[in-house]
Amino acid sequence: MAIDSRKIIELASGLPMASDEKGMIAAFGVYVVMNYNEFFFKLVSRIITMVDDAEAQAVEQKLYDAVLECGYHTFQGARSSMDWRDLILPMIKTPEDEIHALVAFTNMLGIGYIEVEELIPGKRLVTTVRNAYDPGRYLEEYGPQPRGRCYMFNACTASYMDLVYAAPYPNGMGTFTSKEVMCRSMGNPTCRFVAEIHQLT
Amino acid sequence: MTIVPSLKFDSEHNIIEFDGALISLHCHHYNCGLLKTIEEISQIDGHAVIVETAAEQFFRSFRELLSKASKEMSPDQALQEASELYRFMGFGRLDLTELTARGGIAYGYSSYYVTSWLAKYGRRDTPVCYFTCGFIAGIVGAVFDVAPQTYDVKERQCMMLRHKRCEFVVTKKPNGD
Repeated sequence: MAIDSRKIIELASGLPMASDEKGMIAAFGVYVVMNYNEFFFKLVSRIITMVDDAEAQAVEQKLYDAVLECGYHTFQGARSSMDWRDLILPMIKTPEDEIHALVAFTNMLGIGYIEVEELIPGKRLVTTVRNAYDPGRYLEEYGPQPRGRCYMFNACTASYMDLVYAAPYPNGMGTFTSKEVMCRSMGNPTCRFVAEIHQLT
Repeated sequence: MTIVPSLKFDSEHNIIEFDGALISLHCHHYNCGLLKTIEEISQIDGHAVIVETAAEQFFRSFRELLSKASKEMSPDQALQEASELYRFMGFGRLDLTELTARGGIAYGYSSYYVTSWLAKYGRRDTPVCYFTCGFIAGIVGAVFDVAPQTYDVKERQCMMLRHKRCEFVVTKKPNGD
Protein backbone atom coordinates (compact mmCIF):
# COMPACT_ATOMS: atom_id res chain seq x y z
CA MET A 1 0.00 0.00 0.00
CA ALA A 2 1.59 3.22 -1.20
CA ILE A 3 -0.54 5.53 0.90
CA ASP A 4 1.09 7.55 3.65
CA SER A 5 -1.95 8.40 5.75
CA ARG A 6 -0.05 10.64 8.13
CA LYS A 7 1.24 12.68 5.23
CA ILE A 8 -2.26 13.04 3.76
CA ILE A 9 -3.62 14.21 7.09
CA GLU A 10 -0.83 16.75 7.39
CA LEU A 11 -1.32 17.98 3.84
CA ALA A 12 -5.11 18.16 4.04
CA SER A 13 -5.22 19.80 7.45
CA GLY A 14 -2.74 22.39 6.24
CA LEU A 15 -4.89 23.53 3.35
CA PRO A 16 -6.36 27.01 3.78
CA MET A 17 -9.92 26.78 5.05
CA ALA A 18 -10.79 30.23 6.31
CA SER A 19 -14.03 32.13 5.96
CA ASP A 20 -14.15 34.86 3.34
CA GLU A 21 -15.43 38.43 3.68
CA LYS A 22 -18.99 37.10 3.59
CA GLY A 23 -18.27 34.72 6.41
CA MET A 24 -18.47 31.69 4.15
CA ILE A 25 -16.05 28.78 3.93
CA ALA A 26 -16.09 27.19 0.49
CA ALA A 27 -13.84 24.18 0.06
CA PHE A 28 -13.85 21.09 -2.17
CA GLY A 29 -17.10 22.10 -3.84
CA VAL A 30 -19.09 22.39 -0.61
CA TYR A 31 -19.89 25.06 1.95
CA VAL A 32 -18.28 24.22 5.27
CA VAL A 33 -19.06 25.38 8.77
CA MET A 34 -17.37 24.57 12.01
CA ASN A 35 -19.65 23.86 14.91
CA TYR A 36 -19.41 22.38 18.36
CA ASN A 37 -19.60 18.60 18.59
CA GLU A 38 -21.76 19.07 21.66
CA PHE A 39 -24.26 21.10 19.62
CA PHE A 40 -24.71 18.31 17.11
CA PHE A 41 -24.92 15.70 19.85
CA LYS A 42 -27.56 17.62 21.78
CA LEU A 43 -29.60 18.49 18.72
CA VAL A 44 -29.76 14.97 17.32
CA SER A 45 -30.08 13.17 20.66
CA ARG A 46 -32.93 15.42 21.74
CA ILE A 47 -34.76 14.90 18.49
CA ILE A 48 -34.55 11.11 18.52
CA THR A 49 -35.50 10.86 22.17
CA MET A 50 -38.52 13.15 21.74
CA VAL A 51 -40.24 10.97 19.15
CA ASP A 52 -41.53 7.39 19.25
CA ASP A 53 -39.24 4.57 18.20
CA ALA A 54 -40.66 4.17 14.69
CA GLU A 55 -40.16 7.88 14.01
CA ALA A 56 -36.70 7.74 15.62
CA GLN A 57 -35.66 4.99 13.23
CA ALA A 58 -36.97 7.00 10.28
CA VAL A 59 -34.99 10.02 11.49
CA GLU A 60 -31.87 7.89 11.89
CA GLN A 61 -32.22 6.68 8.30
CA LYS A 62 -32.57 10.27 7.07
CA LEU A 63 -29.49 11.31 9.02
CA TYR A 64 -27.60 8.42 7.44
CA ASP A 65 -28.77 9.59 4.02
CA ALA A 66 -27.75 13.19 4.76
CA VAL A 67 -24.26 12.08 5.75
CA LEU A 68 -24.03 9.79 2.73
CA GLU A 69 -24.67 12.79 0.48
CA CYS A 70 -22.23 14.82 2.53
CA GLY A 71 -19.47 12.23 2.23
CA TYR A 72 -20.16 11.35 -1.39
CA HIS A 73 -20.07 14.95 -2.62
CA THR A 74 -17.37 16.26 -0.28
CA PHE A 75 -14.95 13.42 -0.94
CA GLN A 76 -15.60 13.72 -4.66
CA GLY A 77 -14.81 17.42 -4.36
CA ALA A 78 -11.61 16.55 -2.57
CA ARG A 79 -10.45 13.87 -5.02
CA SER A 80 -11.13 16.12 -8.02
CA SER A 81 -9.36 19.16 -6.55
CA MET A 82 -6.02 20.48 -7.75
CA ASP A 83 -4.57 19.95 -4.29
CA TRP A 84 -5.50 16.27 -4.42
CA ARG A 85 -4.09 15.95 -7.91
CA ASP A 86 -0.81 17.59 -6.91
CA LEU A 87 -0.26 16.20 -3.44
CA ILE A 88 -2.15 12.96 -3.00
CA LEU A 89 -2.79 11.42 -6.42
CA PRO A 90 0.90 10.54 -6.90
CA MET A 91 0.57 8.15 -3.95
CA ILE A 92 -2.46 6.38 -5.39
CA LYS A 93 -1.72 3.33 -7.54
CA THR A 94 -4.83 1.21 -6.99
CA PRO A 95 -8.51 1.70 -6.06
CA GLU A 96 -7.64 0.31 -2.64
CA ASP A 97 -5.07 3.08 -2.21
CA GLU A 98 -7.80 5.57 -2.95
CA ILE A 99 -10.00 4.13 -0.19
CA HIS A 100 -7.13 4.58 2.26
CA ALA A 101 -6.51 8.10 0.98
CA LEU A 102 -10.16 9.10 1.44
CA VAL A 103 -10.18 7.66 4.94
CA ALA A 104 -7.03 9.63 5.72
CA PHE A 105 -8.61 12.76 4.31
CA THR A 106 -11.57 12.27 6.67
CA ASN A 107 -9.11 12.34 9.53
CA MET A 108 -8.75 16.09 9.34
CA LEU A 109 -12.41 16.98 9.85
CA GLY A 110 -12.34 16.81 13.63
CA ILE A 111 -14.90 14.04 13.98
CA GLY A 112 -12.70 11.33 15.54
CA TYR A 113 -10.11 8.99 14.06
CA ILE A 114 -11.36 6.46 11.53
CA GLU A 115 -9.25 3.49 10.45
CA VAL A 116 -9.57 0.73 7.89
CA GLU A 117 -9.80 -2.68 9.50
CA GLU A 118 -10.59 -4.75 6.42
CA LEU A 119 -10.95 -4.04 2.73
CA ILE A 120 -12.09 -6.60 0.17
CA PRO A 121 -11.82 -4.77 -3.14
CA GLY A 122 -15.18 -3.92 -4.61
CA LYS A 123 -17.05 -5.89 -1.96
CA ARG A 124 -16.57 -4.96 1.65
CA LEU A 125 -15.01 -2.28 3.80
CA VAL A 126 -14.78 -2.44 7.57
CA THR A 127 -13.77 0.66 9.50
CA THR A 128 -13.37 1.36 13.18
CA VAL A 129 -13.40 4.48 15.33
CA ARG A 130 -12.29 4.49 18.94
CA ASN A 131 -12.90 8.10 19.86
CA ALA A 132 -16.16 9.21 18.26
CA TYR A 133 -17.65 12.03 20.34
CA ASP A 134 -21.31 11.04 20.41
CA PRO A 135 -21.22 7.50 21.86
CA GLY A 136 -19.68 8.58 25.13
CA ARG A 137 -22.11 11.44 25.47
CA TYR A 138 -25.09 9.12 24.80
CA LEU A 139 -23.88 6.84 27.58
CA GLU A 140 -23.51 9.80 29.94
CA GLU A 141 -26.85 11.38 29.14
CA TYR A 142 -29.11 8.49 28.24
CA GLY A 143 -27.37 5.20 29.12
CA PRO A 144 -26.79 2.27 26.74
CA GLN A 145 -28.38 2.68 23.34
CA PRO A 146 -30.41 0.15 21.36
CA ARG A 147 -28.73 1.07 18.07
CA GLY A 148 -25.46 2.61 16.98
CA ARG A 149 -25.32 6.40 17.07
CA CYS A 150 -22.43 7.15 14.73
CA TYR A 151 -24.34 8.21 11.61
CA MET A 152 -21.37 10.21 10.42
CA PHE A 153 -18.86 7.38 10.28
CA ASN A 154 -21.42 4.82 9.20
CA ALA A 155 -22.45 6.67 6.06
CA CYS A 156 -18.92 7.86 5.32
CA THR A 157 -17.82 4.22 5.21
CA ALA A 158 -20.40 3.54 2.49
CA SER A 159 -19.50 6.71 0.61
CA TYR A 160 -15.85 5.67 0.21
CA MET A 161 -16.97 2.45 -1.48
CA ASP A 162 -19.58 4.26 -3.60
CA LEU A 163 -16.96 6.66 -4.93
CA VAL A 164 -14.23 4.14 -5.63
CA TYR A 165 -16.04 0.97 -6.71
CA ALA A 166 -19.53 1.99 -7.84
CA ALA A 167 -20.62 3.73 -11.05
CA PRO A 168 -18.67 6.93 -11.76
CA TYR A 169 -19.72 10.07 -9.92
CA PRO A 170 -22.50 11.17 -9.62
CA ASN A 171 -24.27 7.89 -10.34
CA GLY A 172 -22.86 5.57 -7.71
CA MET A 173 -24.28 6.88 -4.48
CA GLY A 174 -26.17 4.25 -2.49
CA THR A 175 -24.57 1.29 -4.24
CA PHE A 176 -23.05 0.29 -0.92
CA THR A 177 -24.79 0.32 2.43
CA SER A 178 -23.03 0.46 5.73
CA LYS A 179 -24.15 -0.90 9.07
CA GLU A 180 -22.79 0.09 12.45
CA VAL A 181 -22.32 -3.35 13.93
CA MET A 182 -20.67 -2.17 17.14
CA CYS A 183 -20.94 1.15 18.95
CA ARG A 184 -19.54 2.38 22.22
CA SER A 185 -22.97 3.79 22.96
CA MET A 186 -24.20 0.18 22.98
CA GLY A 187 -21.48 -0.87 25.40
CA ASN A 188 -18.97 -2.10 22.82
CA PRO A 189 -15.31 -1.15 23.24
CA THR A 190 -15.11 0.50 19.84
CA CYS A 191 -17.39 1.54 16.96
CA ARG A 192 -17.27 -0.64 13.86
CA PHE A 193 -18.85 -0.11 10.45
CA VAL A 194 -19.31 -2.61 7.64
CA ALA A 195 -20.09 -1.43 4.11
CA GLU A 196 -21.22 -3.94 1.53
CA ILE A 197 -23.14 -3.91 -1.75
CA HIS A 198 -26.65 -2.74 -1.05
CA GLN A 199 -29.12 -5.62 -1.11
CA LEU A 200 -32.68 -4.72 -1.96
CA THR A 201 -35.05 -6.24 0.56
CA MET B 1 -7.34 42.00 18.01
CA THR B 2 -10.16 39.52 18.36
CA ILE B 3 -10.74 37.20 21.30
CA VAL B 4 -11.83 34.43 18.93
CA PRO B 5 -9.10 31.82 19.37
CA SER B 6 -7.41 29.78 16.69
CA LEU B 7 -8.08 26.10 16.13
CA LYS B 8 -5.85 23.40 17.55
CA PHE B 9 -5.83 20.27 15.42
CA ASP B 10 -4.74 16.99 17.01
CA SER B 11 -3.80 14.86 14.02
CA GLU B 12 -3.30 11.72 16.12
CA HIS B 13 -6.95 11.65 17.13
CA ASN B 14 -8.64 13.78 14.47
CA ILE B 15 -10.04 16.22 16.95
CA ILE B 16 -10.14 20.01 16.71
CA GLU B 17 -10.05 22.03 19.89
CA PHE B 18 -11.53 25.49 19.95
CA ASP B 19 -11.33 27.37 23.20
CA GLY B 20 -11.28 24.12 25.15
CA ALA B 21 -14.27 22.59 23.36
CA LEU B 22 -14.31 20.16 20.46
CA ILE B 23 -15.58 21.31 17.11
CA SER B 24 -15.79 19.64 13.73
CA LEU B 25 -16.21 20.61 10.11
CA HIS B 26 -19.40 19.74 8.26
CA CYS B 27 -20.57 20.46 4.76
CA HIS B 28 -23.84 21.93 3.55
CA HIS B 29 -25.15 18.56 2.41
CA TYR B 30 -25.17 17.41 6.01
CA ASN B 31 -26.30 20.63 7.65
CA CYS B 32 -29.16 21.15 5.21
CA GLY B 33 -30.07 17.47 5.34
CA LEU B 34 -30.18 17.66 9.12
CA LEU B 35 -32.41 20.74 9.01
CA LYS B 36 -34.72 19.14 6.44
CA THR B 37 -34.92 15.96 8.49
CA ILE B 38 -35.88 17.90 11.59
CA GLU B 39 -38.45 19.99 9.73
CA GLU B 40 -40.14 16.86 8.43
CA ILE B 41 -40.81 15.40 11.88
CA SER B 42 -44.44 16.03 12.64
CA GLN B 43 -44.32 14.93 16.28
CA ILE B 44 -42.18 17.83 17.49
CA ASP B 45 -41.54 21.52 17.02
CA GLY B 46 -38.19 20.98 15.37
CA HIS B 47 -37.48 24.67 14.87
CA ALA B 48 -37.82 25.26 18.60
CA VAL B 49 -35.37 22.45 19.34
CA ILE B 50 -32.81 23.94 16.95
CA VAL B 51 -33.18 27.41 18.45
CA GLU B 52 -33.00 26.18 22.04
CA THR B 53 -30.01 23.95 21.41
CA ALA B 54 -28.07 26.64 19.58
CA ALA B 55 -28.95 29.18 22.26
CA GLU B 56 -27.69 26.93 25.05
CA GLN B 57 -24.50 26.10 23.16
CA PHE B 58 -23.52 29.64 22.29
CA PHE B 59 -24.56 31.02 25.67
CA ARG B 60 -22.17 28.59 27.34
CA SER B 61 -19.33 28.78 24.85
CA PHE B 62 -19.40 32.55 24.35
CA ARG B 63 -19.59 33.21 28.07
CA GLU B 64 -16.53 30.99 28.45
CA LEU B 65 -14.78 32.94 25.72
CA LEU B 66 -15.60 36.27 27.35
CA SER B 67 -14.37 35.06 30.72
CA LYS B 68 -10.94 34.42 29.21
CA ALA B 69 -10.60 37.83 27.59
CA SER B 70 -7.60 39.75 28.81
CA LYS B 71 -9.67 42.80 29.68
CA GLU B 72 -13.30 43.34 30.49
CA MET B 73 -15.37 44.20 27.47
CA SER B 74 -18.28 46.52 27.01
CA PRO B 75 -21.48 44.93 25.65
CA ASP B 76 -20.83 46.62 22.31
CA GLN B 77 -17.36 45.12 22.08
CA ALA B 78 -18.63 41.72 23.13
CA LEU B 79 -21.36 41.80 20.47
CA GLN B 80 -18.77 42.71 17.88
CA GLU B 81 -16.71 39.70 18.96
CA ALA B 82 -19.78 37.52 18.62
CA SER B 83 -20.20 38.68 15.03
CA GLU B 84 -16.58 37.79 14.42
CA LEU B 85 -17.12 34.35 15.94
CA TYR B 86 -20.13 33.82 13.65
CA ARG B 87 -18.06 34.84 10.62
CA PHE B 88 -15.04 32.79 11.69
CA MET B 89 -17.12 29.62 12.00
CA GLY B 90 -18.52 30.10 8.50
CA PHE B 91 -22.11 31.05 9.34
CA GLY B 92 -22.04 34.38 7.48
CA ARG B 93 -22.08 38.06 8.39
CA LEU B 94 -24.20 39.24 11.27
CA ASP B 95 -24.60 42.78 12.60
CA LEU B 96 -25.47 42.73 16.30
CA THR B 97 -24.64 46.37 17.03
CA GLU B 98 -28.23 47.49 17.63
CA LEU B 99 -28.87 44.96 20.38
CA THR B 100 -29.14 45.95 24.03
CA ALA B 101 -30.19 44.14 27.19
CA ARG B 102 -33.78 44.92 26.21
CA GLY B 103 -33.41 43.27 22.79
CA GLY B 104 -33.52 44.98 19.41
CA ILE B 105 -32.86 43.97 15.85
CA ALA B 106 -29.96 42.03 14.37
CA TYR B 107 -29.19 41.96 10.67
CA GLY B 108 -27.75 39.19 8.58
CA TYR B 109 -25.93 40.22 5.40
CA SER B 110 -24.89 36.77 4.35
CA SER B 111 -26.20 33.49 5.64
CA TYR B 112 -24.71 30.01 5.51
CA TYR B 113 -28.13 28.42 5.67
CA VAL B 114 -29.59 30.59 2.90
CA THR B 115 -26.62 30.02 0.61
CA SER B 116 -26.40 26.33 1.42
CA TRP B 117 -30.10 25.61 1.10
CA LEU B 118 -30.22 27.38 -2.26
CA ALA B 119 -27.24 25.34 -3.42
CA LYS B 120 -28.72 22.04 -2.30
CA TYR B 121 -32.49 22.30 -2.60
CA GLY B 122 -33.20 25.61 -4.33
CA ARG B 123 -35.47 28.38 -3.12
CA ARG B 124 -38.14 27.82 -0.50
CA ASP B 125 -40.89 30.12 0.64
CA THR B 126 -40.15 30.03 4.37
CA PRO B 127 -37.25 31.43 6.40
CA VAL B 128 -34.34 29.13 7.04
CA CYS B 129 -32.08 30.77 9.66
CA TYR B 130 -33.30 28.97 12.78
CA PHE B 131 -29.78 28.23 13.91
CA THR B 132 -29.00 31.95 13.79
CA CYS B 133 -32.03 32.74 15.96
CA GLY B 134 -30.58 30.42 18.60
CA PHE B 135 -27.09 31.82 18.15
CA ILE B 136 -28.36 35.34 18.80
CA ALA B 137 -30.42 34.31 21.85
CA GLY B 138 -27.38 32.61 23.37
CA ILE B 139 -25.03 35.47 22.61
CA VAL B 140 -27.34 38.14 24.03
CA GLY B 141 -27.79 36.05 27.15
CA ALA B 142 -24.02 35.65 27.55
CA VAL B 143 -23.29 39.35 26.95
CA PHE B 144 -25.94 40.62 29.37
CA ASP B 145 -25.46 37.78 31.84
CA VAL B 146 -28.96 36.36 31.78
CA ALA B 147 -30.21 32.91 30.79
CA PRO B 148 -30.50 32.35 27.03
CA GLN B 149 -34.18 31.48 27.51
CA THR B 150 -34.72 35.12 28.48
CA TYR B 151 -34.97 36.16 24.86
CA ASP B 152 -37.24 35.30 22.01
CA VAL B 153 -35.64 35.67 18.59
CA LYS B 154 -37.74 35.62 15.43
CA GLU B 155 -36.54 36.03 11.87
CA ARG B 156 -38.95 38.51 10.31
CA GLN B 157 -37.09 38.87 7.02
CA CYS B 158 -34.93 36.27 5.33
CA MET B 159 -32.80 36.47 2.22
CA MET B 160 -34.34 33.13 1.30
CA LEU B 161 -37.52 35.12 0.63
CA ARG B 162 -35.60 37.55 -1.56
CA HIS B 163 -35.33 40.16 1.18
CA LYS B 164 -32.18 42.28 1.00
CA ARG B 165 -31.02 41.04 4.36
CA CYS B 166 -32.14 38.77 7.15
CA GLU B 167 -33.66 40.56 10.12
CA PHE B 168 -33.94 39.07 13.55
CA VAL B 169 -36.22 40.63 16.15
CA VAL B 170 -34.97 40.06 19.67
CA THR B 171 -37.48 40.58 22.47
CA LYS B 172 -37.57 39.72 26.11
CA LYS B 173 -40.06 37.02 26.92
CA PRO B 174 -42.89 38.09 29.23
CA ASN B 175 -41.23 36.34 32.18
CA GLY B 176 -37.73 37.31 31.07
CA ASP B 177 -36.90 39.88 33.73
